[in-house]
Amino acid sequence: MSAPAATSTTAASRERDGEPLIRATGVWKIFGPKAATIIGTPDAELPRTELRAKTGCVAAVRDVSFEVWPGEVFVVMGLSGSGKSTLVRTLIRLIEPTAGTISIAGDEVTGASPAALRDLRRHKVSMVFQHFGLLAHRRVLDNVAFGLEIQGVGKAERHARAREILGLVGLEDVESSFPDQLSGGMQQRVGVARAFAGDPVVMLYDEPFSALDPLIRRDMQDEVIRLQAETGKTMVFITHDLPEALRLGDRIAIMRDGAIVQIGTPEDLVGSPADEYVENFTRDVPRSHVLTLRWIMREPEPGEPVDGPRLDVGTTVRNAVPVIAESSRPVCATSGDEVVGIVDRDAVLRAIAGEGG
Amino acid sequence: MTTVTETPIAVPVVAHRPWWRGKIVQSGAIVAGMWIAYRGWGGDHPWPNGLVWNQLTFKLDDFQAWLIEKRLTGGGGLVFSIFDGFRIMCDHLVAWFFDALTWLTWLGTAVAGTLLAWRFGGLRAGGWALGAFAAFAVTGLWLESTETLALMLTAVGLSLVIGVPLGIAAGRSRRFGRWLTPFLDAAQIVPAFAYLMPVVLFFSIGYAAAVVATMIYAIPPCIRITALGIRRVPVNTVEAAASMGATRRQMLGKVQLPLSRRMLLLGLNQTILFALSMVVIAGLIGGGGLGAVVNSGLFSNPALAILAGAVIVVMAMALDRITESVAERTDPARRHLDAPAKRRLRLQSLGVAGVITATVVVAKLLGVSGDFPDYSGVRQRAVTAQEWLLGQIQTVLDYVQDPTSFVFQITEPVGNFILTELLLPLQGFLVEAPWFTTLGGLTLLALVVSGLRPAVTTLLMLGLIGFLGVWALAMDTLSQVLVATLIAVLIGIGLGVWAAESRTVSRALRPVNDVLQTLPQLVYIIPFIYLMPVSIVPGIVAGVLYAFPVVSRLVERGIKDVAPDAVEAAGAFGATRRQVLVKVKVPLAGDAIMLGVNQGIIMVLAVVVIGGLVGSGGLGYEVAQGLVRGQFGQGVIASVAILALGITLDRVTQGSRSKRKESME
Ligand SMILES: Nc1ncnc2c1ncn2[C@@H]1O[C@H](COP(=O)(O)OP(=O)(O)OP(=O)(O)O)[C@@H](O)[C@H]1O
Ligand SMILES: [Mg+2]
Repeated sequence: MSAPAATSTTAASRERDGEPLIRATGVWKIFGPKAATIIGTPDAELPRTELRAKTGCVAAVRDVSFEVWPGEVFVVMGLSGSGKSTLVRTLIRLIEPTAGTISIAGDEVTGASPAALRDLRRHKVSMVFQHFGLLAHRRVLDNVAFGLEIQGVGKAERHARAREILGLVGLEDVESSFPDQLSGGMQQRVGVARAFAGDPVVMLYDEPFSALDPLIRRDMQDEVIRLQAETGKTMVFITHDLPEALRLGDRIAIMRDGAIVQIGTPEDLVGSPADEYVENFTRDVPRSHVLTLRWIMREPEPGEPVDGPRLDVGTTVRNAVPVIAESSRPVCATSGDEVVGIVDRDAVLRAIAGEGG
Repeated sequence: MTTVTETPIAVPVVAHRPWWRGKIVQSGAIVAGMWIAYRGWGGDHPWPNGLVWNQLTFKLDDFQAWLIEKRLTGGGGLVFSIFDGFRIMCDHLVAWFFDALTWLTWLGTAVAGTLLAWRFGGLRAGGWALGAFAAFAVTGLWLESTETLALMLTAVGLSLVIGVPLGIAAGRSRRFGRWLTPFLDAAQIVPAFAYLMPVVLFFSIGYAAAVVATMIYAIPPCIRITALGIRRVPVNTVEAAASMGATRRQMLGKVQLPLSRRMLLLGLNQTILFALSMVVIAGLIGGGGLGAVVNSGLFSNPALAILAGAVIVVMAMALDRITESVAERTDPARRHLDAPAKRRLRLQSLGVAGVITATVVVAKLLGVSGDFPDYSGVRQRAVTAQEWLLGQIQTVLDYVQDPTSFVFQITEPVGNFILTELLLPLQGFLVEAPWFTTLGGLTLLALVVSGLRPAVTTLLMLGLIGFLGVWALAMDTLSQVLVATLIAVLIGIGLGVWAAESRTVSRALRPVNDVLQTLPQLVYIIPFIYLMPVSIVPGIVAGVLYAFPVVSRLVERGIKDVAPDAVEAAGAFGATRRQVLVKVKVPLAGDAIMLGVNQGIIMVLAVVVIGGLVGSGGLGYEVAQGLVRGQFGQGVIASVAILALGITLDRVTQGSRSKRKESME
């Protein structure tokens, strides 16, 4: 399939204002004895299994660098064991990174004192866990208020705030239930509410919905999308579910064996996978749902009339189909007022037919 | 010229080859060699005197004399004053609890205990408490029971003060936990009887010695279970709290402790049970109470000893059930209280406090005594059933000891069989065979069965025993341990297999096992002194009773855990249920069985040496003599030998297990 040579025209490099909110540079996590001595040696380049056989260490995260911008939903995706959970935990040092630097909202995380780290966790970042991690001995209300309680906020105030959040996620009615009296979906709503209660800048989600039924999972994704739209929080979202990644992610990082293989928008990954691994990942994605006209248009031939129906280059192929089907003329893809490319019937059909892989 | 030979088809090596197969032949050969040496030179080569440190006994006696002198004159430095301070504190604590309980009067104590058990443990717990107090009263052993309770309160309280913080630390820090584990493991294989002498040395006979001996026994399980409870708190939850910025202290107070509350209370339960199982032994070194009644009654008033033993059993069961139901009921993760329920509970607490206070006030005003009276003040009518109970017990004792009775017809031959067919031959063999063939043979056996390290341990430990001059005694004890372990393992495997195959049996066995495991070690022995009057046999039978429930439980679990796939596959080949059991399940459960042997043998040793108290000879007798007659050096030497024997038995039976584990990796 014809794809733009560079991704520079895509949303990935859309104008950014200011500084990235999260910046991770050269992060390593090696589990095992004398882990720190391995980095920088040739051993560090070994595939995981060989490293393990040789040194007994597991390189869970290998030299990972990325930036997350304010308001962005950054998805990290990969197979089981690829190091996603480890990576996201190193961001707030729930797991101590072996090497590399991390900064969040201008604060250096690596090297922060215990007090500074606590402060960061209390006020700037919060996390939602796959297995909820709720306090079984506390009511929902007190679970949601727990973060505030730890900060020393008074009872009346934290309960008021917790009620407010519970209202936001539609859990007003269960505030005095205990976690084990709720369904999995409800429990994770409590988990999300708890993370919101501290009004953090960054929210980390570690496969929050993997344990839920598909239908409930969709509900929860909608909920996250809604909350994200309402509050504009920055999110790092871990998943191994590609549809979920595509639904939520502004940008997606694909991990394999601890390293990031590719970072890009959904279209980038589907349209120009960095390697076979990513391609295999995205093979079953309905391309017409993800790809935009930008990926299938061609240059207008000299002298070719540009009188067909006009569509924005950001329109997905799927949405362009009815227009193209109606029209006898090729569609003109526009960016602003300018026509940047021509999409004919052929290209659309090829894009759709290419879906099977 | 070359001949073309067919390359042999590689026979696949069976990867899962149990370590114990093929060892049987080698072991048999070693034993046969020892046997030949025994037949040829039996009795000719006792442990040579030249290899014994004769002076040790005197040195130890001198040391004791020196210590006693220091204690009397008050010199001796800091360490000494710490020991002494602790001794005085223990003495005071026990006395204080005893005084407090008697001050409440018997009525007040009973009402307070029952209502508190009811408030925190529910109706059944309250019932158990009431039953226990009734037993104290009816048997006329109220004051003795109170004294035992005071001893328990002190020992358990101090055990918790030490054990819980250590357990929490071990649960929170992997490194500390790993560092502590070998100590806990070691403590578990030391028979309680073996550390009585050293404890008496440093604390002299009295409450303090009893408290310390009890604590040594009860603290390890307390630490273990506390640590386990903390570690069992879901990692997710701990991580979530950490991600919100909880400090270490908040983590402990708001997350780990509340969520492990049930386990912590079960830790309390185990601490109490372990402490209670020391009551009788503690009675030997000044613990007083029911333990002292048992000990003094063993020979002079058997019926009373049995009665006191029964009261201890009731106390143990009541405390077990009460603390267990408290643990289950107050688990905050499972018991969700709404506001009205909380209010109701608060009212209950108030009510309970009120009733207790009122009862005590009224009892004090009426002049109710601290002891439950034997006779009513009015017409000198007996209010306890002690005499009647003693009479009944005596009747039974007379019956079982009457050579013409039916029971005697059974117990006598069984006892004699164990003695003449098992014990005496083995004892003769181990004691009389030339010392060097026995030492070498046992070391070789350890090598074959378990590997090099256990063999070295065996050689060193047995050598130490000989060097201490108690070779013959130790071989005597060893023969008793082996016979009892054999019987216990056979019974345990039989019952375990049966229980694994039949739900009914499993369900029927559970309460029996529970009861047998709740009983203090010495209590087992008491009935058998009378039931099987051959001096060595009671200790053996008691050891068997103490150990077989554990073996059978492990075997049952092992067999039930055998992968259903293997069983199903065998079934698919048309194997009968019996074939499946014998050919698949039992071999695959070999690990569990070996674990059972390992645990069983240590438990047997602990009880068998106590048998020395009632005349079963061996090392236990030396310790008993040391305690009763004040022959200190001799007692300490025997204690060390018991410990050496315990280490050997543990390493040999356990070594095989860890070897197996390695080979599986
Ligand atoms: N504490 C640890 N000690 C040793 N190895 C670990 C530890 N935690 C994780 N690993 C290893 O690091 C690798 C990455 O684990 P991680 O949990 O980050 O994967 P993941 O991508 O989150 O997988 P999943 O989708 O199953 O959650 C795995 O191979 C895992 O075995
Ligand atoms: Mg994970």
